[in-house]
Amino acid sequence: MNIFLLSLAIIIVGGTLPLVTCRNMAVAKGLYLGVTLLGCITGLTALFSTSANLLGATWSWSWLHSFSLAFACDALSFFFLMPIFLICPLAVIYSFAYFDKEENSLRTAVSFFCTNVLIVAMALVTVAANILSFALVWEIMSLSSYILVMYNYEKADTRKAGYLYFLFAQAGAMLIFAAFGVAFSHTGSLQFSEFAAIPAEAKLFVFFLAFLGFASKAGVFPLHVWLPHAHPAAPSHISAIMSGVMIKMGIYGILRVYFLLASSDLLIGQVVLVFGMVSGVLGVLYALGKHNLKKLLAYHSVENIGIILIGAGLGMIGVAKGDVAMAGFGFAGSLLHVFNHSVFKSLLFFGAGAVIKKTGTSHVDELGGLMKRMPITGRTFLIGSVSISGLPPFSGFVSEFLVYFSAFNGLKHNHATLLLIILAIISLTVIGGLASFCFTKVVGVVFLGEPRTDRAAQAGEVSRLLTLPMAILAALCLAIGVFPQSFIHLAFAGFTGLLQIGSVDAAMIDTVGTNLALGSRLFLLIFFTVLLFRKLLYRNKVIAKGPTWGCGFTRGTARMQYTGTSYARSVVSFFRPFAIVRESKVQLVKIFPGKTEFHSRVDDIAEVGMQHGLALPLLTLLGKFRWIQHGKVQLYIGYIILAISVILLVSFI
Amino acid sequence: MINMNDIVLVIILLSVLLSLSSNRLMALVKYMAMQGVMVSLLPLLLEQHSRIGSGGLIFFQVMILIKGVLIPGLLYIALKRVVIKREIEPIIGYHASLFAGLIIILVSIFITERLQLSLPQGRELLLTTAITTMSAGFFLMMSRRKAITQVIGYLMLENGIYLVGTALTKHAHTIYIVEFGVLLDVLVGVMIMGIILNNINHTFDDIDTDHLNRLKD
Repeated sequence: MNIFLLSLAIIIVGGTLPLVTCRNMAVAKGLYLGVTLLGCITGLTALFSTSANLLGATWSWSWLHSFSLAFACDALSFFFLMPIFLICPLAVIYSFAYFDKEENSLRTAVSFFCTNVLIVAMALVTVAANILSFALVWEIMSLSSYILVMYNYEKADTRKAGYLYFLFAQAGAMLIFAAFGVAFSHTGSLQFSEFAAIPAEAKLFVFFLAFLGFASKAGVFPLHVWLPHAHPAAPSHISAIMSGVMIKMGIYGILRVYFLLASSDLLIGQVVLVFGMVSGVLGVLYALGKHNLKKLLAYHSVENIGIILIGAGLGMIGVAKGDVAMAGFGFAGSLLHVFNHSVFKSLLFFGAGAVIKKTGTSHVDELGGLMKRMPITGRTFLIGSVSISGLPPFSGFVSEFLVYFSAFNGLKHNHATLLLIILAIISLTVIGGLASFCFTKVVGVVFLGEPRTDRAAQAGEVSRLLTLPMAILAALCLAIGVFPQSFIHLAFAGFTGLLQIGSVDAAMIDTVGTNLALGSRLFLLIFFTVLLFRKLLYRNKVIAKGPTWGCGFTRGTARMQYTGTSYARSVVSFFRPFAIVRESKVQLVKIFPGKTEFHSRVDDIAEVGMQHGLALPLLTLLGKFRWIQHGKVQLYIGYIILAISVILLVSFI
Repeated sequence: MINMNDIVLVIILLSVLLSLSSNRLMALVKYMAMQGVMVSLLPLLLEQHSRIGSGGLIFFQVMILIKGVLIPGLLYIALKRVVIKREIEPIIGYHASLFAGLIIILVSIFITERLQLSLPQGRELLLTTAITTMSAGFFLMMSRRKAITQVIGYLMLENGIYLVGTALTKHAHTIYIVEFGVLLDVLVGVMIMGIILNNINHTFDDIDTDHLNRLKD
């Protein structure tokens, strides 16, 4: 426990150093990198060394003489601490080379500082054990990440994205605190551990309030609107931390509140499952429709949060039905997917950042042919893509398999549960299929083919410090896929003692793990055998290499290739009611038509709905009160007096 | 001996009424100086304060210095810089203001009675004066256009708060820490206002706060 606090202190110090030394950027960055890495490694040591004994540790100190800030670490906190201490140092290494402009030194130093504050706040969120400490660190987390998003504040888009993020973060926090308030009114205690004592109806209310609040942080449909704006605006490693780790704090919150309330109401599981399915399918659908690399990845976060929630929802239904296998595998799949997603999503964001850094654009239709020019970035991105699509032998497959396994275990139940589980299985397959489709689009358009612009053609590989984190993460993706047993055990350990209905048979977990391992290894074996055969067969043959998409054209141009839009169009238009496709009409009138243009845009129904259903009416309504702000100081003082007299009158009566 | 408290309180009330009816800014600053001195003298005259240590003495001296010399001095300098002599076109006229001041006194007496606080003997007038000073400060802020008058209104408000503190607490001087904090606030406020005043004057050739309307959305 002391080592854990020490690591947090080191990280904070590491964040403060660049603020002091920002005159000399090289020194500041070096110090920052070194100290922060040291802090994160200390954190990992605290997690995994037996002497530190973090599990079950509690500590608290009083604040302002009247409140106590309590922290405690249990299995769930432990599990969520892992991605924090694993992904953040890699992002820090990445940021070292990513921020290379000298003139922004102060801004960079502030960004470094806030990154470390964010890391510490996230670590403390996972261990907070009473309402006050949770609220405090939760707000610190939201605010520091807001500042991080605003790094390029001189762009209007960034300011808008930051504002949107701030709005959603604060609205979410408000709902969460409302939930805590309801709980507090029943228990009269600030401690989380008292939550189980509140009556059953209040439990539902508390859970759904907290769920909505945490969902806006996690990016669950339809509260995900900030994600696709904030991620493209933020620097890439910040997107990686936010998408890989921070939005998981929303999931942590949902699971934490669920386990605290210890409610076995079926409704909770069903609602979570439905939200999971909707955000999964629609997330991947909008990802298909988007052609900004980082926006697309942001929508994939929505999709993966959906998968995580499907797992959690199945687990909750399992608890309500008393089905240990279903509950256990559901939660395990959900937790493992949290971990996996933090690995491959940060990998993908790192890759996207490298591409953007080299080519200056994030629009997929302006890229192409980067696999040859950026081999390491391209290959690691490919590995990340395969993982996120849930294909063996990589990590995504393992966790999605666990979720499937839970769902199939639940097929023995009847009525609404059965229907929901069948729907869950169908949506999981749809998500998997569409995700593969989407990443064939991304990899195909961005990394394969011929470059569409000059900048893409001139791109070269990024520096080692940028490729190193990607390589590590890609290796981790493969390792989880090929050696799944220990990771599955880790995921099951994430909720030991929290499941009231007992624990899953250890032999069953082992069987699943071994079979998965066998499957992945067989798959790898077949892959390499085929590769070997190909080598052998082509050994003595002459292989001619032509331009990609040459196809016998004598004057082929890069513009003849499939674009992202055209590739995804058929699938997107299939889902038309949910994806609002806006296309400009192209009509060729003459025999030799002039220059024509075609625009296509896919709108998010949640965003459009929120804009027209909530934001605009609210603006019109509040616009009617504009006259209150007239700029006359004297009348403002009058308002104050009026307010005071009203308050006094109320207290008199 | 005639009751000294009451004399001081009456002087304070008088200064309130005078400042409500005066249209010369220099005179206004002088009334404020007088009011400040009286307000900071008052706790010394209350009988509970017959025993005060050296810390208390220093405190009251500092208080008189700031309220009676420093703040009026700053206002005086600010007035010298921006060449204005009198408040023109007040929102509420001087006679009406004077009348309103009288009404404020009546209302304050009414409020003091309604509050039914268990005040020490002879403090009713003190509380009345305090509420009057506060309300008149507000009134001054609302009814005048010049920024400097508003600062003066704010000062008067602060004097009122100080008086309320004096009336309600059975204090050792340590309790004044709050009033002292407020005082520092006001001091900083006056300084900033001096700067802003200069800038408004510089930008608009006038210190009329109506020009600040342009700053709204």
